[in-house]
Amino acid sequence: MKRLSLFTTCLIILVGSWVFLEFVVGGLISVPIPGSVVAMYMGLVIIAILVHISVEDSLFQEFLRPIHETLVDDRRRLRRRVIAVLIPIFLLGYTYSIIAQRANPPGSPRDAHPSPPLELTYKDEVIGTMQDVVNPFRHYEKDDPEAFKAHVENGRRVYHQNCFPCHGDHLDGQGHFAPYLQPLPANFQDPGIIPNFQESFFFWRIAKGGPGLPAAGTPWDSAMPVWEDHLTKEEIWDVILFLSDYTGYQFRTFGEAH
Amino acid sequence: MIFCLTQSVKLHGWLDNVLYFRSANLRCRFAAVVLFLILGVFSMLTVADAQNAPEASEKGKEVYEQSCAHCHGTEGRGDGAAAENLLPQPRDFTRGLYKIRSTESGELPTDQDLFDIITEGMPGSSMPGWETALSANERWEVVAYIKTFHSGFKEREAPPREISLEGKIPFSEESVEIGKGLYTELGCIECHGNVGRGDGTSAPTLTDAWNFQTWPANLTQGWTYRGGADTEDIFKRFIGGIAGSPMPAFEGDSFLHFGLTSEESKRLTELENMDEMTEADEEASNQFYEKMDEAVNVALTRAEGTELTAAEQRMYDDAMKIVYEKSWHLANYVKSLMPEERPEPAIGNNVLRSQYVQGGLPTIDDAAWETSEARYFPLVGQIIVEPRQFNPTIDAISVKSFYNDTEVVFLFTWDDRTYTTGDETDETTGKPLEDALAVQFPVKVPQGPTAPKPYFLGGGRLPVYLWHWKASAPEQVTELTAKGINAAEVQEVQADLQVKSTYTDGQYQLWVKRALKTEDKKDLQLESGVFVPIAFSAWDGSNGDIDTKRTITSWYTFVLEPVPSSRRFVYPPLIALLSFGLLIGLRAAVQRKNLEKLST
Repeated sequence: MKRLSLFTTCLIILVGSWVFLEFVVGGLISVPIPGSVVAMYMGLVIIAILVHISVEDSLFQEFLRPIHETLVDDRRRLRRRVIAVLIPIFLLGYTYSIIAQRANPPGSPRDAHPSPPLELTYKDEVIGTMQDVVNPFRHYEKDDPEAFKAHVENGRRVYHQNCFPCHGDHLDGQGHFAPYLQPLPANFQDPGIIPNFQESFFFWRIAKGGPGLPAAGTPWDSAMPVWEDHLTKEEIWDVILFLSDYTGYQFRTFGEAH
Repeated sequence: MIFCLTQSVKLHGWLDNVLYFRSANLRCRFAAVVLFLILGVFSMLTVADAQNAPEASEKGKEVYEQSCAHCHGTEGRGDGAAAENLLPQPRDFTRGLYKIRSTESGELPTDQDLFDIITEGMPGSSMPGWETALSANERWEVVAYIKTFHSGFKEREAPPREISLEGKIPFSEESVEIGKGLYTELGCIECHGNVGRGDGTSAPTLTDAWNFQTWPANLTQGWTYRGGADTEDIFKRFIGGIAGSPMPAFEGDSFLHFGLTSEESKRLTELENMDEMTEADEEASNQFYEKMDEAVNVALTRAEGTELTAAEQRMYDDAMKIVYEKSWHLANYVKSLMPEERPEPAIGNNVLRSQYVQGGLPTIDDAAWETSEARYFPLVGQIIVEPRQFNPTIDAISVKSFYNDTEVVFLFTWDDRTYTTGDETDETTGKPLEDALAVQFPVKVPQGPTAPKPYFLGGGRLPVYLWHWKASAPEQVTELTAKGINAAEVQEVQADLQVKSTYTDGQYQLWVKRALKTEDKKDLQLESGVFVPIAFSAWDGSNGDIDTKRTITSWYTFVLEPVPSSRRFVYPPLIALLSFGLLIGLRAAVQRKNLEKLST
């Protein structure tokens, strides 16, 4: 079999790398890789090829030979003509598609977990600082399991009378209203949610709802109600107990690592 | 089974030949071993194929109480904490009435039916699918536990009679045409309406076995069919009925002319429509009635569990053959009423684009609307502010738009089963209940993606600009300004909006035209190419929607699509020519260099 020319080899490496990045790696992690990352890796591949062919003058000449031949050699006339037609046609289509493209709305840069205020309030009443407030019923978990169970059960009731159309029967953010809300309701079964927040953060999010978000959290888009208008303080703490009880995740706490 | 036995005989014979046992005793023992092995394999196969739930256990109770009881109640009465807000109500398991079954009328569901509903959920209701949340074992345990709520499961002696899907009539235009005729003839139209939008004349009066209001399915929305929208699913709902709901099973006297052949049925309809009958006609029709009575009686006898005689069985089979045939045609017709999938919501780049036209804008019944692509905005219940709507009856609104140099026109379309114009009043507020629509824009379009928008139900600092339309004033849209969901004010200066609306076969169409620019500072000013937030609210008067009790969408995006730049015909050919020129130039340069090389 004829040995592949250096030019063809380089071309195969280039196309192969792209296919590998886009489809093999993309397929493995089952999400498409962002275009900018692909472009970066492809840039590296091109630099590597250029370094390789330019280390020796003979290599560079070998690399150029097929290009040279295609341009002037009469035996390559057919290939030359095909290329002379294909390249302009490709550029014609490509520039047309760019110019005729419809403008799309700008994406909204939304911070899903914006920083909370320093103070935790319920309506206008100050409960304490965000850092220090703990769930007043959490201690029952150890002290009085019966009372704890009653609070969890109350939380279960509150959840299913108010929260489940959006956050779902299974607390997975997939209630029957959920698919048609932007942003999507929080998924409490996500291991990155409950363990990353203190109970006081959840109290803040529930009590103040979407409109209570700072601007970085795009309060104007959220459908999360201001629950302090509907629920008592106790009900909010109870529903927080229910969230961790049902999912099995523990809220983040401070000062226990001794 | 027979196959297995013959296989085992063959296998035995083969082994016998190969090993050639001389001792009868040995042969006997060998046969016993083979038989034992085969029986073992056979029983394992049966276990793997089992469609029955295990015995009820503590485990099933635990899973039920953790995942189901909040709606269905700890005692299975459908009275959990969430139930008061839900319609359709969570199933009460104690009465043994199950809507979605693969079994005949009057039968309980199979275990597999229960398992499938738990796995897939019930579209169009608040029952989710539990496939990812519970393991298959857990779901089977729940099936077993649910069965303990109704004694009928324990008492039943024979397995339930399943609906046969044999003789399916494939989808074809002819079959759809026949089904369409049956749709009227069998009376489907009375609840489900002329074109299937659930807007029949008896639609608002229906209640279920628990006396809760229930709406007939909107047959054009396959994604809301509780038991799935495959032709087979639809067929099973006909034959088995939807227990506990007003949807009857096609059998006995709930099926038109049960027991008559198609020709006889046609003839009887003719006779019934005659003004005057001859004696012979009367005789003929009486014969038909007798035949029908007999068939209905046989069906009743069968439903009671009494064994049928051979003649009765033949009569029943003949009657059901026609029911099955007609049901397949009807299922094909119903299938033809819905799009294959629920349309995609207008999120991401799929924004509502108003198309530019030169000259006059299309009127409400203009054919030009057909050329425009609709955008689809699913609605959800408003559960943020009291009074809340947990059980919306309006599924979505679809919108099209055109604009020219001075005006913009919208066509809003949505399904509503009833035409309600305020004849009845709300009990708590005393206000008239009526159908309505509101379209919401910001007064000022936010500049850039990080600029604040008004809150989508108001409440922030930024006001919204609203169009409010009511069914009682079908040719009028009122302009409002609001800073909160309960703080809308009618604008003092009303722009000159042109409005037309229609209500046909369970569907509203609203046509609104406005100038792109107005003098009023409280109005939204429109400009081509600017992305404008847009949101919708809809009220269904007959569902008790009033004030904040309504359906809503979150913010979506609308744009007057700019006329495509004419540059698209200039630059691309230029670039193509340029690249061609470059290639030629490159070749010429290389050739020249070669010549120089040769000459030196």
